[in-house]
Amino acid sequence: MSGHILWQDRAIAFRAGESVASALLRAGVIAFGQAPTGQARAVFCGIGQCQNCLVQVDGRLAEACLTPCRTGMHILPETGACDV
Amino acid sequence: MSDAPVLVIGAGLAGLAAAVELARAGLPVLVADQAQTPGGAVHRQPLPGVRSIASPVQRRRWAGLMADVQAQGTRITLSMGTAFGGVDHTGAVLLTGAGARLFRPRALIVATGARERVQPRPGWTLPGVETAGSLQTRLKTLAEAPEGRVLLAGSGPLLLALGAELARLGRPPVAIVEAGRPLSHPIAALGLPMSYLREGAEYLLRLKLAGVPILAGSHLAAIRAEGGALVADIDTPKGRRSLTVDRIALHDGIASNDIGLPDCPALPVLRAGDCREALGARAALADGRAQGAALAARLLGQPQPAPAPEVARQRAAQALVARLHAHDGASRLAALPGDTVICRCEARTVNDLRALGPDPTDRQLRLDGRFSMGPCQGRFCAEWTARLAAPDTPKPRLGAPRWPARPIAIADLLATPDETQGDPA
Amino acid sequence: MPQTPSEFDVAIAGAGIVGASVAWHLAGAGLRVAVIDAVGPASAASGASDGAVSVASKKPGPLARLASASLLYTRVLSQGGPLAGAFHPRPSYVFGQGEAELDAMDALIAKLGQVAGPVRVTADGGRDLLPGLGAGVERLVALDGEGHMPGHKAVRAYLARPGITGFWPAPIRAIDPDDRGVTLDLGTQKVRAGQLVLALGVSSPQLVPGLPVIPRAGQLFVTDRGPVDALPGSLTAAAYLLAKTEAPGRATLPPVVIDPLTTGQFLIGSSREDHADPNRVEFSVMRGLMARSVAAFPALAARRVIRAFAGVRAAVIDGLPIVGPLAGQPRITLATGFEGDGICLSAIIGAEVARMVRGLPPSDALAADLAVLSPLRFTTQPQEGRA
Repeated sequence: MSGHILWQDRAIAFRAGESVASALLRAGVIAFGQAPTGQARAVFCGIGQCQNCLVQVDGRLAEACLTPCRTGMHILPETGACDV
Repeated sequence: MSDAPVLVIGAGLAGLAAAVELARAGLPVLVADQAQTPGGAVHRQPLPGVRSIASPVQRRRWAGLMADVQAQGTRITLSMGTAFGGVDHTGAVLLTGAGARLFRPRALIVATGARERVQPRPGWTLPGVETAGSLQTRLKTLAEAPEGRVLLAGSGPLLLALGAELARLGRPPVAIVEAGRPLSHPIAALGLPMSYLREGAEYLLRLKLAGVPILAGSHLAAIRAEGGALVADIDTPKGRRSLTVDRIALHDGIASNDIGLPDCPALPVLRAGDCREALGARAALADGRAQGAALAARLLGQPQPAPAPEVARQRAAQALVARLHAHDGASRLAALPGDTVICRCEARTVNDLRALGPDPTDRQLRLDGRFSMGPCQGRFCAEWTARLAAPDTPKPRLGAPRWPARPIAIADLLATPDETQGDPA
Repeated sequence: MPQTPSEFDVAIAGAGIVGASVAWHLAGAGLRVAVIDAVGPASAASGASDGAVSVASKKPGPLARLASASLLYTRVLSQGGPLAGAFHPRPSYVFGQGEAELDAMDALIAKLGQVAGPVRVTADGGRDLLPGLGAGVERLVALDGEGHMPGHKAVRAYLARPGITGFWPAPIRAIDPDDRGVTLDLGTQKVRAGQLVLALGVSSPQLVPGLPVIPRAGQLFVTDRGPVDALPGSLTAAAYLLAKTEAPGRATLPPVVIDPLTTGQFLIGSSREDHADPNRVEFSVMRGLMARSVAAFPALAARRVIRAFAGVRAAVIDGLPIVGPLAGQPRITLATGFEGDGICLSAIIGAEVARMVRGLPPSDALAADLAVLSPLRFTTQPQEGRA
């Protein structure tokens, strides 16, 4: 089932079965915010090993590359302060 | 206890092949994988309604294995979207996600595949820079190549395969930067199995037709972000050149993804496929079968089966592939600028490592330097940290293996039903 | 092959925090000091510790008084001394729920009053005393004066003093005392010193057979990074005090310590188990500790555990460290068996052991309490309590 997720306040379309990371990248979102270390959050390994694509998924920290999209899901950067 | 299933972690080639052998021996098997569909990295399945970009050979291999799985009926249970937290000292295993449970399986086969080796270089932490495997995963699930200019760099046959797939999907890469000179040893290459040669020839033909330059003997020295794009500085045998691209995929080979697995005295724990020895897809299938059969024999008190000859053949072939791609890229580590990030999780740099003084111990690297202490468990930095700290005695990890195998959300742990209470530990 | 041993005034076996502090104090007195370790600096309990410089968790009596003196001295050493950058003052909190824990908190307040030292109770009330606490906190006692000192940092700082020569990795094969000194066989080389200090923690019985030091492991869990300063100081369940002090049997709730690290991570412990296996961690223990931790500090539910291991403390069967000359071996001084208290006690113990080694009397104020720790207490009935 396809639909939309929310990246911050922007609606992003996804395809059935697609991961959050994949949907964001197709929409041109390549920077997912900042880690507490200040490093950029972004897709790196794509299969849940590197932990570099962590985002908040409905308030919980999760790997964007492992999280399947569901309609209405709200995705935020890990550290709330940044706007990317 | 004896009716507890054997747990297989990983629903790729090795894991499912092992599951089939265990089920054939009459044992119930639970296969858990954090992905939403079986396939692993190699046989990553397209999204529903998307055509597969796999080759006919690959499709036949996967269809055959899935038919074997299906034939075992209810003896094999697949638990997708289920992550493996680790196995503890008492043999308790934590699974979180869709199939969350805390329980004691009868035995454990870990078939978590490979991790990609990616050598650090300035700018490798920039958004838009990812591993070749990561990009390939999206090609397989979406059957489309990303928009914009793509550069592939590092070393290994995956770069050629990925380049050819991008070309086939109509968006060939700008170039492939290969540290080795795999095409300069045609005679030696003839020692490869025919299937390797056929595959390689197909990739090269497709890249040639698409006009993709292969910069052999070249290194991607540094990446910087400039005006919304990525500028790649490449050291070629003819000098330095720069390419402006939108996306860069890096790859310097593969290694076993067996992090977070200390020895467990309470139950048999076997590794299978790339997780045991990173030899690629063909070996993974054979090794999965072999490890599954070996574990079944052990659990049922039967004599151990003979080792799989295919694994030895693939080992020899992979060794030759490695020789064809041989290069001195690791020596470039010593020349990295001081502010180059080595440990991505903790943002630790070459300077941070040097500040520890000469010959730092593993403990110093970890406790004082904070290398290999982040949530990736050193998967992406331990090897390079160790090489930089002790160039003559490289090793794949720092310190003893420790669980968890992956970060465990405390909320998940507390929400997981505990089936171990009352069990004899 | 004949070997010329390296010559030192004092050899110290064990580069943990106690051995390192002894070395620093001896080198400060102008002595040539060798520090020998089978693995390297802070490779056992010191490196695994939570770094809490805690008087509150010490047994009432000699240990609490020594800890109090050591905390004061640690502050001195951190003001431009070796521990500058290693020790940081911070508040600490003890929480409890149920009768046994509330009683233990009364006992804690009484103990701190008796010591009349550097730690004072700044508040005693409910969970509203500290923002972010949850329903698992019935009563909270806030303490001022304690601090945090990562063991590996303190060890490095102590060992950096000129006059200290490090030997590691170098397991000690044998010790050979004679009339004029002690010779240590390190396999590939020998070290000769006038005196030997054994600060080997759980490895102590390997060189002093029969020494009643046993391993006591504690499972520890490290989270990923989150907001720094989410918790201003360590949050310790009173059950942990009970487990460490007089009435381990009374603690029925998990003995949780939640330690905020400077990185924004949390170190959460800790059980007490009689074994020495650093890999022995269990989901059931982890669940128990985490459930209580989340009940006390709900923000933890959003964190993820990225590392699990067991720290192995050196415990003594009577619950007191062993500090002083070995019976019948005046050239060998013991300083071991701190069971996790070495972080707090190391400053003063280092100074006092250095005095012993130099033939000086103990500081007046500490003499009686140090005498209680003497290894001579085990020589009259050496077999007692070994079971």
